[in-house]
Amino acid sequence: MATLRIGTAVLEGTGIARGYLKVGDMPDGRPMQVPVLLGRGTKPGPTLWLHGCVHGNEACGAFVVHRLFRELDTAALSGTIVALPILNITAFRAKQRMSPFEGFAGGDLNRSFPGRTDGTLTEQMAHAIYTELKAHASYLIDLHTAMTADVRWALFPNAPGEVGKKSESMARAFGFTSTLPAPMDILAGSAMMVAAHDGIPSLIVEAGGKGPAFTAALVSDVVERLRNVMRQLGMVSGPIAQHGPLTYFSNFAWVRAVQGGLFQRAVHCGERLKVGTVLGHYYDLWGQPAGEALSPHAGVVLAIHPGPVLASGETLVHIGLDPRDV
Amino acid sequence: MITATTVIRVGTAEAAGVGVTRGELRVGDAPDGEPVTIPVAIARGAGQGPVLWLHGCVHGDEYCGAFIIHELLRTLDTGRLTGVVVALPMLNITASQRGQRMSPFATFGYGDLNRCFPGAADGAFTDQMAHAIYGGLRQYADYFIDFHTALTPDTRWALFANAPGDVGRRSEGMARAFGLKSTLPAPMDILGGSAMIAAARNGIPSLIVEMGGIGPAFERETVLEGAERLRNVMRHLGMLAEKPTEHGPLTYFSNFAWVNATRGGLFEQAVQCGQRVDKGTLVGRYIGAHGDTLEEVKSPHAGIVLAIHPGPAMGTGDVLVHIGLDPRDT
Repeated sequence: MATLRIGTAVLEGTGIARGYLKVGDMPDGRPMQVPVLLGRGTKPGPTLWLHGCVHGNEACGAFVVHRLFRELDTAALSGTIVALPILNITAFRAKQRMSPFEGFAGGDLNRSFPGRTDGTLTEQMAHAIYTELKAHASYLIDLHTAMTADVRWALFPNAPGEVGKKSESMARAFGFTSTLPAPMDILAGSAMMVAAHDGIPSLIVEAGGKGPAFTAALVSDVVERLRNVMRQLGMVSGPIAQHGPLTYFSNFAWVRAVQGGLFQRAVHCGERLKVGTVLGHYYDLWGQPAGEALSPHAGVVLAIHPGPVLASGETLVHIGLDPRDV
Repeated sequence: MITATTVIRVGTAEAAGVGVTRGELRVGDAPDGEPVTIPVAIARGAGQGPVLWLHGCVHGDEYCGAFIIHELLRTLDTGRLTGVVVALPMLNITASQRGQRMSPFATFGYGDLNRCFPGAADGAFTDQMAHAIYGGLRQYADYFIDFHTALTPDTRWALFANAPGDVGRRSEGMARAFGLKSTLPAPMDILGGSAMIAAARNGIPSLIVEMGGIGPAFERETVLEGAERLRNVMRHLGMLAEKPTEHGPLTYFSNFAWVNATRGGLFEQAVQCGQRVDKGTLVGRYIGAHGDTLEEVKSPHAGIVLAIHPGPAMGTGDVLVHIGLDPRDT
């Protein structure tokens, strides 16, 4: 077997290896490095690349990767798993979406791929990561959360030809009911879109909420769904669970709050909306009703702001448009 | 003593007669020179009676208390109220705006508002806030309840000022009427600088309620429950006419122990609030960046879990678990 090396994680044969990939330097000159896990099976097969915490406060994905590896039997695995459970490590430490060292350009790592060697911190991080991803990955799954514990949806690049077809089959094997075949002109700079443009079938999973807003039961559920994708890809044996028809969308709409204040949501993730459905209630500082937030679109709730407070411009609701069962 | 002709003034809120008055209290200045003001609502009843003073969001990210106070205000009929409710639902407003415990303007000192009472007119930002707030509290309050949260949605406990004599007895009466099972008669030498202890020293019976978790980590049901328990305290104080509900025996503690994390890492909690722990009970696990278990954390004390860190990640020194010691049913 050829040597598999991602940063300091090195695997000569089968088994599991751990190490770090350097993605930049800290302000004190020490290396900024992200954890890497490698798992290689006894039989040949594809390389599935997993990463979590592209946004630092979306920790559910790290716990999913960790559990998958704790339960991974490489003797029964065909192919290789490369996993980077905590991609945006400095943001993770600061318990926020973006790196605290990004004071200038915003720094959304999932808009910075494929990155550049001489860009901002986040662009340099993206470059260090994507170079390895492009060299090794046959498939990519990117684990995200939205805001609340009840978030459950997925999106795949609706690319022409084989890449789109294989991405879709991963989404069906994963099997979240709410699924977006993502138009190729959205989410530019996401690892998913960049990988798809480079011929790598991809999937983004959105499961759970920010910070501690996810449960151990959800982690187990996502791990089992990942194993089902691995069965679909022929990486582990066993019957592939059929999840039945999914609800596809034409696109999504981010709806920003045009009013700030204390906020109490009135809808849950997965709920159907009409134009004008009450999304939540605003209150002033004295507890008096200060208006309702109404849905500007029909569709299905992908994400909703949990309150209890929000400022103008925060994401109020994320809506899957034109739901149809397929 | 408040008489029928007394005008109650807290900031711009002036209550001269029956009804609800809203206004703002200036507690300092922002770095751009604009005033930092906090909301005040005064609900004055038709009958003469005590003044109940309420605080929420002393720590900015403990929003559940603001929602409990708001729920009370929305459902209060001043025509049937005896006495006055003065409510400051979002005390540490600049911290609340930022979703954090302490004010972003508390750049130098420690900045924990609940360690700064009675405050100082020429102190740090938070000392000056405390001073501006405490003046009205001391002038008007007959009873005081301060709403906090801990870390997780299942947090439910209370503590009252175990002061000598009448102040302690009346504080305990409020705690029993509020009726959360886990209750600490707080020794008067802890929580120095809290509004509760400062008020008790000034003869004002006081209670701290801990319900729900930080940020969005609280349920609507907890808000409704907190408001109903608060109404029960008001029944007990004679401010509402109905007979108070008897909650039965409570579990009292001798004190509490804050246990800080002696290492950092990803963290999974293994106990829930209200759970009994022995010395050595597993309370959680530290996990490394690669998913390996770094350490299983054991409780250093026997008692009842008052608060537990929910994870998913913590640094050295974070509050790991908060334990009520020597539980006994009374």
